[in-house]
Amino acid sequence: MSKIDEVRDYELFIGPNHPGIAGNYSFKMKLRGDKVLSAKTDAGYLHRGFEKLMEERLFIQNIAIVCRICVPDPDPNENNYARAVEEIAGIEVPERAHWIRTLVLELSRMASHLFSLGGHAATTGLYVLANWTIADRDRIMELFEELTGGRVYHIYQLPGGVRRDFPDGFGRRVLEVMDYIESRLPDYDDLAINNSLFIKRATGIGVITKEQAISWGVTGPNLRACGVAADVRKDDPYEVYDKLDFEIPTMTEGDSYARMIVRRKELVQSINIVRQIIDKIPSGPVWNKIPNPLKWKVPAGDAYVRTESSKGEYAYYMVSDGGRKPYRVHVRGASTTHGVHVLENLLAGSRIEDASQIMFSLDACPPEVDR
Amino acid sequence: MEYQKENSIIEAMQLEFPEAAFTVKKARRIEVKLPSKRLYDFAVRMQKKWGFLHLSAISCVDWINDGEFELVYHFWNYDEKVLVMAKIRIPREKGDSHFETISNLWQPAKFFERDIHEMFGIYFDGSEDMEGFILTDWTGPPPMRKDFITREYALNFFHYREYEPQWLKDMMAAGEGNE
Repeated sequence: MSKIDEVRDYELFIGPNHPGIAGNYSFKMKLRGDKVLSAKTDAGYLHRGFEKLMEERLFIQNIAIVCRICVPDPDPNENNYARAVEEIAGIEVPERAHWIRTLVLELSRMASHLFSLGGHAATTGLYVLANWTIADRDRIMELFEELTGGRVYHIYQLPGGVRRDFPDGFGRRVLEVMDYIESRLPDYDDLAINNSLFIKRATGIGVITKEQAISWGVTGPNLRACGVAADVRKDDPYEVYDKLDFEIPTMTEGDSYARMIVRRKELVQSINIVRQIIDKIPSGPVWNKIPNPLKWKVPAGDAYVRTESSKGEYAYYMVSDGGRKPYRVHVRGASTTHGVHVLENLLAGSRIEDASQIMFSLDACPPEVDR
Repeated sequence: MEYQKENSIIEAMQLEFPEAAFTVKKARRIEVKLPSKRLYDFAVRMQKKWGFLHLSAISCVDWINDGEFELVYHFWNYDEKVLVMAKIRIPREKGDSHFETISNLWQPAKFFERDIHEMFGIYFDGSEDMEGFILTDWTGPPPMRKDFITREYALNFFHYREYEPQWLKDMMAAGEGNE
């Protein structure tokens, strides 16, 4: 190392206040000038001990806390939890409830993608898109409020079905919101995707090759941006995804820009899925009564359930020992790979001004890492 | 025939691992119970030979009454679209239990093994990073172990504070109201 490098080399602590991802997280970076030599993630700011808490609470009580594991996209948690209990206890779910759950999951995916599109653009200084998408996301929050009573956390999917049926005219209002968001997409394109400033900042940044993506355990939109058409909704179908017609958008570049495009295309697919659901949803009950939940013993067994969240593969491993509380629940968030070693690998060799863009382009969610 | 795909995968695996017990749990889910010393060989075959390229997760369960930890490795095959859960059991020690790492095969294993070390106290020999990650400045026992009782710890570590401010006493003493 030359004398001048000794002066240039320094360490930088980034975070913990939203360092480019939606949540408290931090990095210890070693830099030379504006070049990142290495980065080490430092988690734990959002650790609330959910897995331990769940072992202390009845099966029914945990529904109120699982959604809090991922703030921008809470519904895959509820869905995983409910499906794991159903699989172990052998509970049937009414057909209509499957459709409603799929609708909720897609609305949640859209809300999360809108959030991340805006956040991603904001890391390059384009704050208008961030303000617009967050305002548009609020339309979906209003739908959630009407359906479930909660805007961010819904506590809606119970073992055996969902908590309540659609209010009067809800389907029509869902379609109105879909039309509205669809009409906004060209504006998003103009603001970021076709904006030469954004193209210049995002192209070739944070490149992951196909081979790297698979060996690093990348999933979800990040994997599809590398040219792998893998999606839990198609490969390991749950709820009613096998009855719906939709495509898996992919890109081959594997850079930050490709990840943006994949999310933008997935918004179109989600709008399409939601329209199909409103069109085809059957009538009937939405919940099969389960035994008195305060005196309910779930038979011994285990289940590994997976969903495709907006961030990637989201899985729960649940073990019951035949008691009134789960014996063990392991939460595998998509960000346990994206937010830790994938990020560390990509940051090494990048430049400091791109660091927060790389983080946001992976759409990592720190509460999934910390739990 | 039901579960044709799953059964043909099991058949190929059974040839090389005759001591393992395979079951099809449902469509696209296979469970394998292995002796712990065969896990590494199994993982190598999974990745290099049978095309299970994605390590979805490693879960740990503390079976305190049996004196054992159960490690569950979830492998996913992108082509066959099947998930294999490989289960092994290792003795539960008072201090750190030890097991071998698979992080040289799969990068995602790094996080899961580090997490299990922190939460359950199982040291993965050969892993490059077993440092604490989530529980900053924690010096107590690994908290996900079943003999760590949250309530007991909280009662010993924290204490309730009596809250009787003067304004509350004054209000109660004033005695107005319609009771």
